[in-house]
Amino acid sequence: MKEPSNTTEPWRVGVLFSQTGFMSIIEETQLRGTLTAIDEINSSGGVNGRPIEPICYDPGSEASAFGLLAKKLMVEDDVSTIFGCYTSSSRKAVLPVVERLNGLLWYPTLYEGFEFSPNVIYTGATPNQNSVELCRILMETYGNRFYFVGSDYIFARDSNRIMRELVRTSGGTVVGESYVRLGADRFEFTPVMRDVKRLRPDVIFSTVVGDGTIYLYQAYCNLGLDPRVMPIASLTTSESEIGAMGYDVGEGHVTAAPYFQGVGNERNSTFVRQYQRRYGEDQPTNMCLEASYFQVNVFARTLEQTNSMDTEILRASVMGSEFSAPQGEVVINPTWGHADLWTRIGRANRQGQFDLIYESPSCVSSDPYLLGYGRKLKQKSFEFA
Amino acid sequence: METRRCTIIRTVGPAMPRGERPQQKPARKSPSSPQLWDLKIAVIVARDDDGERLIRELQRLRCGIKHIWPMPPQIPAQFDVVFCALSSDLPQRLPWIPGEPAAALVVVDNGEGPLDLGLLHNCAAHSILHYPTTPRSVETALSLARGHFLYERRLRGRIEKLDESLRTMRSVERAKSLLIRIRDMTEEEAYNYLRKQAMERRVTIGVVAKAVVDSFELLS
Repeated sequence: MKEPSNTTEPWRVGVLFSQTGFMSIIEETQLRGTLTAIDEINSSGGVNGRPIEPICYDPGSEASAFGLLAKKLMVEDDVSTIFGCYTSSSRKAVLPVVERLNGLLWYPTLYEGFEFSPNVIYTGATPNQNSVELCRILMETYGNRFYFVGSDYIFARDSNRIMRELVRTSGGTVVGESYVRLGADRFEFTPVMRDVKRLRPDVIFSTVVGDGTIYLYQAYCNLGLDPRVMPIASLTTSESEIGAMGYDVGEGHVTAAPYFQGVGNERNSTFVRQYQRRYGEDQPTNMCLEASYFQVNVFARTLEQTNSMDTEILRASVMGSEFSAPQGEVVINPTWGHADLWTRIGRANRQGQFDLIYESPSCVSSDPYLLGYGRKLKQKSFEFA
Repeated sequence: METRRCTIIRTVGPAMPRGERPQQKPARKSPSSPQLWDLKIAVIVARDDDGERLIRELQRLRCGIKHIWPMPPQIPAQFDVVFCALSSDLPQRLPWIPGEPAAALVVVDNGEGPLDLGLLHNCAAHSILHYPTTPRSVETALSLARGHFLYERRLRGRIEKLDESLRTMRSVERAKSLLIRIRDMTEEEAYNYLRKQAMERRVTIGVVAKAVVDSFELLS
């Protein structure tokens, strides 16, 4: 990369979130989070006097399009830093491109863990930051018979594999498991919910993503099931999905996330206020939007020090950096390049917001390969015994 | 996968004077260097003198050649190696994404115009051939490209395998701890038990471990 020292030329960055297709409901909010952060930075003078210029493409919820557009960004637009991706399949499509051409992907979404690329900064939660506590709370509150439902792709299969391990080790059982294809239609969820009704689990653990989330919760609601005794628990259902399915439909269901709109601190109130001034009072914030927002800020602050978009320099400098995000203090874990994030568990209320039922005392160290988790689990089962 | 093990026998002889080549004797290869004959090769260059020499040299090496010109909007992928003229839009014409190449790529530089290292980087080529063509430069470019391509593929395979093994390890650990607790085995015995079952059933140890964990859940 050529970096002339005295210039007002913009810093060009790539942005890849779907604005169309079955994932647009959540990726659109990630795009907004990214652009909000860029606008804020630019309106306060940019980075070292130079504005950030986003080059945005719409991959239309197609994983292969993510790979091709990442190539386009790096080859034609001469961009080395990309903010983007929600689904694990889209991340895996971008991975070979940024690895071969030595770019840096900033990935603002929770995922199933078990990955480490020197060309990715991961700012969403991994299982030790959401699933572990979620499992404990669910078993304490609702019971130990679980039903798994997921979208048929990597994230759901792997998250369920990890959740199954957690449930079993804590003395619970998985009574049923169903998958629907990514981008499934509404009617495909009815048989799943009938199966649930027949098996009567204590908890439904859902790893359904995108539009399917809305169909799933609505199918649940249509069968007259009661979230007070058999909630759907999720790692992905945020304020945005709840808004789309209807507050009454979402009420009583449980989500684990590093961030909810209702997080009570000054930093977050400012963030929510500014976001809503820009996009409308009725527009909620959510965990993926927040990660998209804070990662651009982490990037900008790092760039301020390096004054270079060179991937090696940028990455070396971002490792270990701390940032005051709307969710609280976060750290880019220097070992893993994953963010140390807060663990929070919330129950949706009638206003489409989450009431907190658990909050970690501080941010939780990222452990994408669950290395410290065998030990933790013993403590957990001890607690249950 | 090329996993042949061979011993390299070095013969000691009089040193060859610089610039002199053994007459038409094929270059001596290390037994693990990539085989070059029978490769399917696309040659996408103009048929000028250098282009002709390139094609002739590849034929002499017993490769299957397909000449294509003018350069198609999309470089075909069903070849082992692609020799392709370096053009400013070559990255866009490549049908694969960088990092997942379908063929080894040798870019051919005719030496005209300024050198563009950024372009070269974006092609993610495995080797480069500069005109004027010599037999030596063609063979080395081909050999290096093929070698890098295969090495990249082996590395990708290794990472895939590692990812898979990391997942398997978790079930093996879990199965072992179950056996230790329930069957009162030592760690060594538990592992040997899993391995023996896997060998008898001709499945991986991961499959056996998963079955043990599953059946434990059914029984409890």
